[in-house]
Amino acid sequence: MQEIVESALFAAKRAGASYVDIRSIQREEEDITTKNGAVDAIKHTGSKGFGVRVIANGGWGFSSSFIATPEEGERVANEAVQIALASSKTKLEDAKMSDSKVYQDRVPQPVKIDPFEMPITKKIMILLEADKAMNVQGIVVRKGSMHFSKEWKTFASSEGAYIEQERIVSGAGISVVATDGKEMQVRSYPNSFGGDYQRKGFEFIEEMDLVSHGKEIAEQSIKLLSAKQCPSGTMDIVLGSPQMALQIHESVGHPTELDRVLGEEASFAGTSFLTTDKLGTFKYGSDIVNITADATIPRALGGFAYDDEGVKAKRVYLVKNGIFVGYLNSRETAAKLDLEVMGAMRADNWNKMPIIRMTSINLEPGDKTFDELIKGIDHGVLMGTNKSWSIDQNRLNFQFGTEIGWEIKNGKIQEMVKNPTYTGITYEFWRKCDGIANKDFWHVWGVPNCGKGEPVQVMQVSHGTAPARFRDIQVGVLK
Amino acid sequence: MIGKERVLDILENVISLSSADQTEALFMGEESYLTGFANNYIHRNVGGKDCSLSVRVAIGKKVGSAIVNSFSKDAIKKVVRNAILIAKNQRENLDFVSFAKPEKRKDKDFFVEATANCTPEFRAEYVSKILSKTKAKGFIGSGKFETNALEVAVANSLGVERYTKLTVSTLKSVVLTDTSSGYSEYSSVDVNEIPLNDIIRESVEIAEKSQTPVSIEPGKYEVILTPYALADLIGSLSYIALNARAMNEGMSFLIGQIGKKVVGENVTMYDDGFSQETISLPFDFEGVPKKKVMFFDKGVAKGVVYDTLSAYKEGKKSTGHSLPQPSQYSPYPMNLIMEGGESSKEKMISHVKKGLYVQRFWYTNPMDPRNTVITGMTRDGLFLIENGKITKPVKNMRFIENIATALNNVLELSKERKIIYDMASVTAPYARIKDFTFTGKTEF
Repeated sequence: MQEIVESALFAAKRAGASYVDIRSIQREEEDITTKNGAVDAIKHTGSKGFGVRVIANGGWGFSSSFIATPEEGERVANEAVQIALASSKTKLEDAKMSDSKVYQDRVPQPVKIDPFEMPITKKIMILLEADKAMNVQGIVVRKGSMHFSKEWKTFASSEGAYIEQERIVSGAGISVVATDGKEMQVRSYPNSFGGDYQRKGFEFIEEMDLVSHGKEIAEQSIKLLSAKQCPSGTMDIVLGSPQMALQIHESVGHPTELDRVLGEEASFAGTSFLTTDKLGTFKYGSDIVNITADATIPRALGGFAYDDEGVKAKRVYLVKNGIFVGYLNSRETAAKLDLEVMGAMRADNWNKMPIIRMTSINLEPGDKTFDELIKGIDHGVLMGTNKSWSIDQNRLNFQFGTEIGWEIKNGKIQEMVKNPTYTGITYEFWRKCDGIANKDFWHVWGVPNCGKGEPVQVMQVSHGTAPARFRDIQVGVLK
Repeated sequence: MIGKERVLDILENVISLSSADQTEALFMGEESYLTGFANNYIHRNVGGKDCSLSVRVAIGKKVGSAIVNSFSKDAIKKVVRNAILIAKNQRENLDFVSFAKPEKRKDKDFFVEATANCTPEFRAEYVSKILSKTKAKGFIGSGKFETNALEVAVANSLGVERYTKLTVSTLKSVVLTDTSSGYSEYSSVDVNEIPLNDIIRESVEIAEKSQTPVSIEPGKYEVILTPYALADLIGSLSYIALNARAMNEGMSFLIGQIGKKVVGENVTMYDDGFSQETISLPFDFEGVPKKKVMFFDKGVAKGVVYDTLSAYKEGKKSTGHSLPQPSQYSPYPMNLIMEGGESSKEKMISHVKKGLYVQRFWYTNPMDPRNTVITGMTRDGLFLIENGKITKPVKNMRFIENIATALNNVLELSKERKIIYDMASVTAPYARIKDFTFTGKTEF
């Protein structure tokens, strides 16, 4: 790698670049899926390549290749400069980056059980055992999945940075579909859309204990078919921890991305209501709402040692005591607003240019027990596990649906309800938060599929959450 | 681009190295470039080369696959070895019968050299023209100009051998004012066919006319959907209902409905990878030539798409709609085409007493896929139509609609249609639809 780095850095500088960085990734992945008692697919993927990012004549350019040779390093660097010079034809001012300490470091990631050392037969066995547990009459689809990845990333820059990082990720989940011919109901464990992920070895899969939860979700999905419809109207809700992850993701994570705020995502996923005049003064939520961006949480999927600009991982507040106090930023956007860089620039692979991405965006734990959250409700709904999601391009009007709900009456959980949905305006919703469960109920959920950017990148992020209570929310709009 | 001869040599080498009962090799090479702009300048300008060599083997009914992004000798040996090792450690897939068998059909390239060789300077020039207009108006220009060249080849030990090249160029413009936004996009295999002036005109005009929108109450409205908005709806329908997997998993509203009238008589929709009205590969990722598959013929449900596995399971033939295997989303309609009608956008507007003109939907997601219920927001241009005329811009609204019901409520379709390309290609007309349900509003 050293030879390609030197070749690319030299070539880019010679071609006129004022700043150059090069990032190479070698990655191995394994995906296993099961369906209805059989293995659906097993896939092993290996990939490697590098990308060169430059500033030349004040414009940005990026080029990449899967051919890892010094000659290709030179060609790609020259192409990146050619692209940057084309960018500079429309520039309004020269691209600038805030100062950041330059590091040389090597960060391996030790795990208890290397997932690639664990035999495939053992992985299949766990999924098929879980499948057997889900095999309850009335279930039409039983699915299970596991994903493992291991990568070695090298980052070097013309400023002298040289950082190597290892990243090992394990994830898994199970789900069922029940239908009576007219409608269908789904249930998942431990979370929907692929389950849960962490930067851990195979021990994470064992901790999940998929097999023990199969029967429970199968029976719940059958019961949902005959459950009563979720009530409609304005009422109190308690969101379970996995649904809180989605709530934070869409209505806090994305709106606090400073590139989005500054209009750089306008043509794709939109901008943000969180304009720069609101920093430090805007009442985002109630006084008990504290939200952090923390890339330092050990094993969290949104964590790392250094981001893809070589900035060391940090923990910062986005919302403190209900007030909006910080953005997710990059060296360029931090320079634009004269902010301290907090290290949120990442790319999903070697062939993509880094953009601002969520790290681990967390609702800090509160002081209530789960029972205390429920006790304070006269009439409301407890909702769990995301089923559908939609939010406008300014991140204001959202509507989310969950797989399951339970009506709450007079401080007690009552019968199961189906098709729960709730809707709101982001900051009005967070201002209605009056209870957050304590750290005993807190879990960091791995979200492996956050889409953003053009070309689209799929990023691994995470959210630390505990169940939380919200007052007077519009519930139940399903036709 | 590596070229047909070399790519097929690589695939033959893969097959010759494999000791499995059946072996399939899929090669995809890509050179992709994207010039992104925002805030009236180019802020993201990227490109590069990548490839993937995917090997799938079957030992009896045990199937394994491995992928690598290299075609060096060592990489090829390793990827074949990995696929076989995985298959050996697999359990039998009782649904598996065989990989695809050869079929005769002439391949067809959707490939234009000018697109494959497009330079960053060319893209910057087009973008500059958009930005000079937005700056002159005091608006903000954003969007992307993308040019991609792809070569795809599939071969297997049963005698399938296919190679094709494809180019796609897409120019998208989103124009922002202080209180509004406007949208336009166009995709073509030929970069020189992109109608730059039309894109500028549409996106700027919509942004200009939708300034200072008013708020209206949610409810049922007659709507005119542009091809962008309609493509969003029917594109969603394609993955939640119009494929064998959705049928097999009990998810599709078409279960038990084939042969019955399920949408309006004026709705005819099909998938056709060989149509000139789409952007397509001529075969799927198993090497099966794409067949025309009718979904709705004058409102009557006719069928869904299949890949090899789902076809064998039901004693049918693959329709050529496999994604790269293994895939939990396959089979998939990649070339959805909705027939137009006799009307025009202008005529439709003149027929609306009170309704909404929707330029685009955003963040549509299924709420109840079995019943085709989805939700989403309007975006980049929403207007009130009163007594046959667009009267004022409206603040964005949330809709919840049953797609099948909406397709039953189609009053008129335009002759004019547009190809909307985003991974898959959807060709759609303008549509006038009654009783479209909006359930919420927002502040902008």
